[in-house]
Amino acid sequence: MFKDGIIPEELVKDNKHYRPEMEGFTPPLGTYVHICGTDLVRDEKGNFLVLEDNARIPSGVSYVIENRHLMMRAFPDLAEGVQLKDVDDYGRQLMKALTQVAPKGVSDPNVVILSPGVYNAAYFEHVFLAREMGGPLVEGQDLVVRKDRVYMRTTRGLEEVHVIYRRIDDAFLDPKTFRPDSVLGVPGLFDAYRKGNVTLANAVGTGVADDKAVYAYMPRIIKYYLDEEPILSNVPTNICREPEGLKKTLDNLDKLVTKPVGEAGGYGVVVGPKASKRELAELRKKVKADPDNFISQPVVNLSVSPTLVGRNVEPRHVDLRPFALTGRSTWVLPGGLTRVAMKRGSLVVNSSQGGGSKDTWVIG
Amino acid sequence: MASLIARFGWNIFWLGRYMERAEALARILDINETYARDQPEGPDWKVVLDLYADTARFLESHDKPDAASVSNFYVIDRTNPTSIAYSIAEARQNARSVRHLISTEMWTQLNMFHNRLSELTQRDIRMNNLSRVCADVKMDCQTFEGVAEGTFFRGEAWCFYQLGKYLERADQTTRILDMGYDRISAHDAEGRDSIHWSVLLRSVAGYHAFRSLHPAGSAAADIAGFLLYDREFPRAVALCVERVTARLHELETRHGHQRRKSVEDARRALAFTLETGLGQRVTPTRLHKFIDDLQISLGDVSNEIGKAYLTSI
Repeated sequence: MFKDGIIPEELVKDNKHYRPEMEGFTPPLGTYVHICGTDLVRDEKGNFLVLEDNARIPSGVSYVIENRHLMMRAFPDLAEGVQLKDVDDYGRQLMKALTQVAPKGVSDPNVVILSPGVYNAAYFEHVFLAREMGGPLVEGQDLVVRKDRVYMRTTRGLEEVHVIYRRIDDAFLDPKTFRPDSVLGVPGLFDAYRKGNVTLANAVGTGVADDKAVYAYMPRIIKYYLDEEPILSNVPTNICREPEGLKKTLDNLDKLVTKPVGEAGGYGVVVGPKASKRELAELRKKVKADPDNFISQPVVNLSVSPTLVGRNVEPRHVDLRPFALTGRSTWVLPGGLTRVAMKRGSLVVNSSQGGGSKDTWVIG
Repeated sequence: MASLIARFGWNIFWLGRYMERAEALARILDINETYARDQPEGPDWKVVLDLYADTARFLESHDKPDAASVSNFYVIDRTNPTSIAYSIAEARQNARSVRHLISTEMWTQLNMFHNRLSELTQRDIRMNNLSRVCADVKMDCQTFEGVAEGTFFRGEAWCFYQLGKYLERADQTTRILDMGYDRISAHDAEGRDSIHWSVLLRSVAGYHAFRSLHPAGSAAADIAGFLLYDREFPRAVALCVERVTARLHELETRHGHQRRKSVEDARRALAFTLETGLGQRVTPTRLHKFIDDLQISLGDVSNEIGKAYLTSI
């Protein structure tokens, strides 16, 4: 891929999520992204487009299932006579996928969820997943590595762990390999992983794919490896590290959405038509100083959905995050996280920026 | 099913303990307030402080033990590790760590209880309201217990929950007896009838049962015997010890645990103390000594369970 010039090598290797420690290692079944939550939007013509990839630790599936439960409790008649697809199967499917990627020779693996603990903002979801999957929820302090094997501390003593659905960033996983100040991780975990004694989901280093600059190259990467056109297109993207992309961006700052490439949660995004002159001037300076750090896209007129605002129902912009699970094969949850920008006219749906969510039905 | 993570066993054990502790404290504050109704000088709050060996610590931050300061100290002061508010906050924190192991209904009930308690102010617990607040706390603790009974999966985690609960309950019964016995026996000696024994029994919901067993009598020794040894009475120490024994046995027979010698030794020592320690003629001095021994034995069992099952290696 690098040799053939599909994507600039430094774009991947200089990425802060790139883990050279993974070079020369292939995880079981070649599966890297066991849990994928790609963000989709629908444009004014009704086309679904990929807005963003989430291959690191996509979250929000608990909202999908809880929203459905709430909806059915509040409006029990609504789904009567409708062939509504069930979202409750997620936990079982996730357990199945994770069981399939267990280390070779382990037939009845112990699968655990590794959480940073009760003070993490997503702790609710970790609890939820543990309940839905029926696996133990553990923290770093509950795991220990002996001779490159991972064990959990139980009431019976140490028991081996084979698959870890980790909800902790790469950097904090193992203080011996990554950040030495991490108290959330398990010393020696990465070596156990590289030796093939334990499987981590998602694989280490998948965060590279979340990068908004890497995103821009995804259609080319798909074509290169599969010789197929992507089924879902990207939002057309100007890559500021390429001279042509930079020129287009700077010439149209007031018409485009400009995003820093390494940020998550909607931070640093400037929506040109809504920005003040001063904001645009500031942005221009930043893009010029460090073009590699930016991409720009035309403003996609995200589809709207009727939303209860105070006592009224008003249109609000939405996007959709379906969840895909991959073990031996891929299963897609028949539903998804529909996120709503609660502010009138806003295109920012992230929950960290005050966004809401909606129950989403797949019928048929 | 994978084994229980030791740390979660610990959380569940303490969830059981803290819920029981909060309920017992509500009972004790309630009786102490009720005792005072026939005393012109009002309740003696130092008794409660002594019961929990809190006097010195209390006096560090308060001038004298009066109704307002003591009820504040024991009901709403979250910085006091022996208060109801503290126990429920700890119970909730432990429950939060094991939300995936307890039922959603248990969590919801405890969370709402915790929120109600957090909203209480000094005004809410003033003297003529204290009894009602204590009744509410008791009711919430019992509701939790009922929800747990009806929804908590009877796995290994349940065993540790029950162990925590019954060890704490036994300990608290000894404290309630300790507090009430002096007053009752003093009245016995004077040959006076006293309301104290009935207040004591009512505080542990044992009045009716005791009356039916002892229609005529109300001797202090009978009450002590009832609270300690009556295996039909849910708060009797003997019944609690029986439950602890049964749950430890269940860990071996149903959950595949090896017998832990240290735990078994401590349990036997507790049973021995309970059966032989009090002797035939009960005097206040002997009772106090006996209760001290019991509390130490209960503490040993708790510590050994913690070390054998619930501590990370």
